Amino acid sequence: MKNDVIIRFSHATIAYQQRTALEDISLEIRQGEFVGIIGPNGSGKTTLLKSILGLICPDTGSVQIFDCACHKLRCHHKAKIGYIPQKGQIDPNFPVTVMETVMMGRYSSIGLLRRPAKRDRELVLNALKEVEMDGYRDTPLGHLSGGQQQRVMIARALAQQPEVLLMDEPTTGIDTPTQQSMIHLISDLHRNLALTVLLVTHDVNMISPHVDRLALLKARLFAVGPPAEVLSEKTLSEIYGKQVIVTTQEGGTYVIIGDYHHV
Amino acid sequence: MELFTKPSAIETFYEAVMFEMLSYEFMQRALIASVVIGLVCSIIGVFVILKNLTFIGAGTSHAAFGGVTLGYLIGFSPLYLAILFSLVTVWVVGYLSRKGYLKLDASVGIFYSLTMALAVLFIGLMKAYNAEIYGYLFGSILSVTNMDMKIILILGAIVLLIVYLFFKEFHFITFDEEMATASGIPTGWLSFLLLNMIALTIVISLKSVGAILVFALIVTPAAAAYQLTYSMIRMFLYSALIGVGSSVAGVVLSYWLDLPSGATTVLFVSAVFFLTVIFSPKRRPVFSLR
Repeated sequence: MKNDVIIRFSHATIAYQQRTALEDISLEIRQGEFVGIIGPNGSGKTTLLKSILGLICPDTGSVQIFDCACHKLRCHHKAKIGYIPQKGQIDPNFPVTVMETVMMGRYSSIGLLRRPAKRDRELVLNALKEVEMDGYRDTPLGHLSGGQQQRVMIARALAQQPEVLLMDEPTTGIDTPTQQSMIHLISDLHRNLALTVLLVTHDVNMISPHVDRLALLKARLFAVGPPAEVLSEKTLSEIYGKQVIVTTQEGGTYVIIGDYHHV
Repeated sequence: MELFTKPSAIETFYEAVMFEMLSYEFMQRALIASVVIGLVCSIIGVFVILKNLTFIGAGTSHAAFGGVTLGYLIGFSPLYLAILFSLVTVWVVGYLSRKGYLKLDASVGIFYSLTMALAVLFIGLMKAYNAEIYGYLFGSILSVTNMDMKIILILGAIVLLIVYLFFKEFHFITFDEEMATASGIPTGWLSFLLLNMIALTIVISLKSVGAILVFALIVTPAAAAYQLTYSMIRMFLYSALIGVGSSVAGVVLSYWLDLPSGATTVLFVSAVFFLTVIFSPKRRPVFSLR
């Protein structure tokens, strides 16, 4: 199953807010893959995810998701894509409990004019268990820590019973130990639920041990492949415009980037 | 001993409300209208508050008033024109904002003053002074006719039914519209439908609460409920209780104390709001909140 292409970018050029954010992107994501998307700020990482969600479509070239063109993406396709947006886009004061938040993941599948049934509640509770947040079902979302809120957002995406999980900087704004447990959780979900995961991050070192492939973006796709191939000093210095040191320690590849402010 | 023979304030109030007030047909109508309007406004108000649509409420109520004045000028139903003016306002501002031509607040601002300018113009063009128009501006629940009642009940039922049918979608859109779109909720027409429901809510409240004050009946109960809970479902419940309670209290107090009904209702609901701000459990960590 790992060889079925589930997302295909063919020479896609995508503008976001009247600015070309992505240029001539050709990339294939296979079912069950864990792909990390890295690059400096403003490199088009989020635009890439939004085009997979059908929120922004290419001006030239094409983006195919489940063999369906970006602009034709129907609701039932969208329900198969779980999206975890960048934190900070969630209003912490919004009156909503954890259970209510995760149930929103079911709304699209439940369909219009129907109410959540027992099965939906079971799926929501299972999703909360997957992220170890089942003890917080009645807690207001705003009362949770950043890491816990992010887990709830992952549960909301899981409640959709997705095939693909798109994550936009899931570890930003949370402390390092929580970041590590978060990345292990995502890795476990990828393995246990056979999910295709696309994770956008600026933290190369954190995700490179977990991903099958890395895609290096800066408007164009500079490199894509296994971390050991992509993480070369030459390519990275070209992208970040700073001196980059790549070192191998205990079998893992680590990157140290010079004082590039926006890395 | 005199104390026992003189009826207490509560007894006087009870007699005035139970016997005298309810014996008038117009007061019965006013009370029913206040329950329906209080309910519809406070339910829609939750979406208005949480989705930051407060200004659209103000803009639409002034647009509706423009429609009323045109109705009186040309001798056509003020209500139908109020519906038309407020719906066109939300259609245009909704379209401009969705297409990214102009931010919602800015286009509402344009319509707010445009429709008020039209209202002033239409009033100026009238040959004679018309007191009824000012009823639409400041509200007069006691002048609700049987025909008005029918419209309030029908449109109120439509708004509540639509909210009931699409509750979970509206809930999600209010929480995060982009995430709702991403997960496959048809947010385009549902957001548009929600804007239309706000416009209808304003229209049905126009005559009884007035174009200037209706806004308070939409925003304040929901804003008070926001102080009391972190659950959206409870927020609806509290907002409805505060909205209906204040609306009825406003009518009863205005009758009892001989005060203008619209203003009394708004002052009452505002007092409730300030109490919820002062006693909000959200700012008292000792209380456990849900």
